[in-house]
Amino acid sequence: MNRNKLYTIAETWFQAQNWKPFKFQRDTWTAFLQGKHGLLNAPTGSGKTYALWFPVVLIYIKNNPDYQTKHKKGLKAIWITPLRALSNEIKQSAERITKDLGTQMTVGIRTGDTSTKERSQQKRNMPDLLITTPESLQLLLSSKGYEKVFKECSAIIVDEWHELLGTKRGVQMELGLSRLKTISKDLRIWGISATIGNLEQAREVLLGPETETLKNSVLIKAKLNKKITVKSIIPKEMETFPWRGHLGLKLLEDVVPIIDKSKTTLLFTNTRSQCEIWFQKILEKHPEYAGEFAMHHGSVNKETRVWVEQAIRNESLKAVVCTSSLDLGVDFAPVETVVQIGGPKGVARFLQRAGRSGHSPGKESVIHFLPTHAMELIEASAMQQAVKHEAVEDRIPYLNSFDVLLQYLTTLAVSDGFYPDEIYTEIKGTFCYQGISDAQWQWLLNFLVMGSQSLQSYDEYKKVDIEEDGKFKVNNRGVAMRHRFQIGTIVGDANITVKYQKGGYIGSIEEFFISKLTQGDVFTFAGRNLEFIRVKGMQAQVKNSTKRTNKVPSWMGGRLSFSAQMSELLRQELYTATLETSKQSIEIRSLAPMFKKQREESIVPKPNEFLIETFKTRDGYHHIFYPFEGRGVHEAMSSMLAYRISLLMPITCSLAYNDYGFELLSDKQIDIQHVLDNNLFSTEYMLSDLQKSLNSNEMARRKFRDIAVISGMVFTGYPNKGIKMKHLQSSSQLLFDVFKDFEADNLLYQQAYTETFEHQLEEGRLRMALERIAVQGIVWKQCTKATPFSFPIITDRLREKLSSEKLADRIKRMTAILMK
Amino acid sequence: MTEAIQIHNQNFKMHSSGVLFWEEQSMLLISDVHLGKVSHFRKFGAAVPQQAVQKNFTAMNDVIDYFHPKTVVFMGDLFHSSLNQEWKLFEIWIAAQSANIILVSGNHDIISPLKYEALGIEVIEELILNSFLLTHHPEERDGFFNFCGHIHPAIKLTGFGRQMVRLPCFYKSPKQLILPAFGEFTGTYTLEAKKDCEVFALLGDAVLPVTLTESKRKGRLPKR
Repeated sequence: MNRNKLYTIAETWFQAQNWKPFKFQRDTWTAFLQGKHGLLNAPTGSGKTYALWFPVVLIYIKNNPDYQTKHKKGLKAIWITPLRALSNEIKQSAERITKDLGTQMTVGIRTGDTSTKERSQQKRNMPDLLITTPESLQLLLSSKGYEKVFKECSAIIVDEWHELLGTKRGVQMELGLSRLKTISKDLRIWGISATIGNLEQAREVLLGPETETLKNSVLIKAKLNKKITVKSIIPKEMETFPWRGHLGLKLLEDVVPIIDKSKTTLLFTNTRSQCEIWFQKILEKHPEYAGEFAMHHGSVNKETRVWVEQAIRNESLKAVVCTSSLDLGVDFAPVETVVQIGGPKGVARFLQRAGRSGHSPGKESVIHFLPTHAMELIEASAMQQAVKHEAVEDRIPYLNSFDVLLQYLTTLAVSDGFYPDEIYTEIKGTFCYQGISDAQWQWLLNFLVMGSQSLQSYDEYKKVDIEEDGKFKVNNRGVAMRHRFQIGTIVGDANITVKYQKGGYIGSIEEFFISKLTQGDVFTFAGRNLEFIRVKGMQAQVKNSTKRTNKVPSWMGGRLSFSAQMSELLRQELYTATLETSKQSIEIRSLAPMFKKQREESIVPKPNEFLIETFKTRDGYHHIFYPFEGRGVHEAMSSMLAYRISLLMPITCSLAYNDYGFELLSDKQIDIQHVLDNNLFSTEYMLSDLQKSLNSNEMARRKFRDIAVISGMVFTGYPNKGIKMKHLQSSSQLLFDVFKDFEADNLLYQQAYTETFEHQLEEGRLRMALERIAVQGIVWKQCTKATPFSFPIITDRLREKLSSEKLADRIKRMTAILMK
Repeated sequence: MTEAIQIHNQNFKMHSSGVLFWEEQSMLLISDVHLGKVSHFRKFGAAVPQQAVQKNFTAMNDVIDYFHPKTVVFMGDLFHSSLNQEWKLFEIWIAAQSANIILVSGNHDIISPLKYEALGIEVIEELILNSFLLTHHPEERDGFFNFCGHIHPAIKLTGFGRQMVRLPCFYKSPKQLILPAFGEFTGTYTLEAKKDCEVFALLGDAVLPVTLTESKRKGRLPKR
């Protein structure tokens, strides 16, 4: 069958649905049928699934002209989704095509939710189209005889590639693809990504730099002009609007008219606890919403989530409070309005959320920004500029993640074993490991087999064996089993299932929260008030309670940093504070009372000014610096500056930072003039100072936790029984200490530092920020009390520490608090 | 290096490594060494640096050279796991000791007492000397002062400027002294200071009495 005939099949199907294929869909079909690889840049809900499922089915039709009567079994294509919650939707759209076109192709899902029975059925008889997650794909690679399974696979599609790209799941995907390239003879690799700053690089990472695959590939962009309107909710009384905080409940009543006016409204919060609180408070104040108001976040049980999603589609809900759990995937046509509560900390995410509303083509998306504290209004104003200029951030891919590589090699050793030379060639073709050296590779192999670099007496290290023909293989069943349980790169706090005593699953909460509860405590979860009874195994048993409570489980969420471009926009907005009101945005204008307060003791900096504030509270001496460069840069700069100061005098400080500036808090006063005279903001020796500062704080230590788990040095325990997370936490910390003392050249230990350095601290941006400070005039304000600008920073409890004092000297000034 | 205390008119020295020396008895108390832990982890595929194994033995040699005790009492959890290759190193180490060695057994001590006795080590549940009771688990018994281990105590110290540090410690209450864990790669459990207790923190090369203060108002935000 020739290509035109195939197109006709597709076009006919579209006509039957009363649709017309978009240009990007047609372009994708053509490229795919030409045997090309590629990256499709298309937003959620644009018909991207049909852009890629269609050619998969068409190729099958082409290769099997009698497709309607005969069924050729075996895996034809894999669809990777980062969220297993999305897999059902993807399956439905695939089945629509396979059925309507009269093929006998089967579609299957394989994720963590798939039953063991179904899994073993799949193993005997793979579906034609398999929908799975990066982790489950690795698990397939860990089963015996996997090569045969993938042999006839002609396509792998990685959906939401932007979500995976800057993470270790992305690295895991790169490795999986490097293997499939070899074992699947006629494989097309496709990615689908929302708009990010580095789309070209995203393609390179997916397909491998300088590979034939990359050369034979295309980047297709779906140009769907979508009008997005951002409206800020301006507090009516700025005088009493808080200077810090993250809940935003003060503006609750301003949300009500927005909800009333539109068919369905999604309220996005940044954390699950915030989501719980908003849900509770709205119902408390407006009981009339009961029944048409729901909540959706990742820890609510699956049935409830599915029900909520369905109810949105049926238009039976007026509003839903949710978290990023509704960022991706499924279309919700009835959603007319979106409210973002608090800063979304990223333009890409903001755009994605805005795009959840006004879904039909031609309709505009409306998103309301609800600030939770005064400074966020500046952000709101900058966000509008960012939307206008599409200033979307980059997702920075990992390099040389040895932990993920060790996990992958163990995976291969668990299944059929591997020959190092063959695998080395494959992984050198990936983006992540393009720069790996022969020495590093040998180090990793030694580590797998001996747990060290040379054979030592009295050692019983057991993991991977080398067989006579040089094959690396795991022969120990215990090792294999433990490894399979631990495949994955997401290291979270252990989750505990929350259940009613009489049975009935409610959801899951981090162990950290449960461990603080005692019997009889009441907490709010999934919109209910629950009384804690006991923990049994990995389950927390609860019962309903009528008691009121303010205990809400918190989940540790990642904190994102502003991109360079967004920080620039933020500064530009701030600088308008000194202009006449007619040149200001409505947000900046509304902040006039706060700026006035700020000017009482300090200044609102102009473009050529670098502001430093110092003051004392009963917490200690605060020294606050305002580069306005985004959290990541401030983290690095505070660490480096504290280190440089510590060279001038013995000092201990704790560091805090946000997107506007950073603080050094100490029990002693730092002489700022001394800091300036010694030129401590210099770019000279920046790298080495930054590196040295890492040795004296805890950042690398925290990074090491994930590395220890991913590389398999720390075992997280069997699901639903066994070792608790606390045990893991302490032992990865203990491990860090013994590496520091005995094996500081260990690549995994080193990786903790390079990762902090390269991935978190954004060295390039730090240099530019310092260069900018060098040409600014420094304004040092000695204040008598905290200023509005400093407030969100000094009240931050998550802090980094740095000290150059002798422990004994520090201890003399410290005390242990007596418990009564 | 050391800090002296008197209990029931007897003289004791707390050493920065976490051991306690009883002068009148020339007796060295060492708690929670957890030998074999590193090897145990390695046996199960967790690559803890092997050099950490040797550290325990050199550290034991150092304190024995320092005090020259007549008797060494291990206060439980001497060996972390079932038998592994580290036992051989332990045998070699024992052979070189001149002191009388006693093990007050703990929850981790699952190796048969016969194996210890074969090396000339006396294994007992508890040891009573005068008005002192030596156990692995903390115990309260009328008329006795209890020395024990098991907890791996640490203390959290705070200071002006939101400073915080956590250190392993000797934890003394009116009728009890809990020893810190001696072994490498063992971890700690943070205890809260209580009225009538004394805490001595380990700083690596020194033992320092910790100042205890009544808790002040905590966690309030500065005024706007």
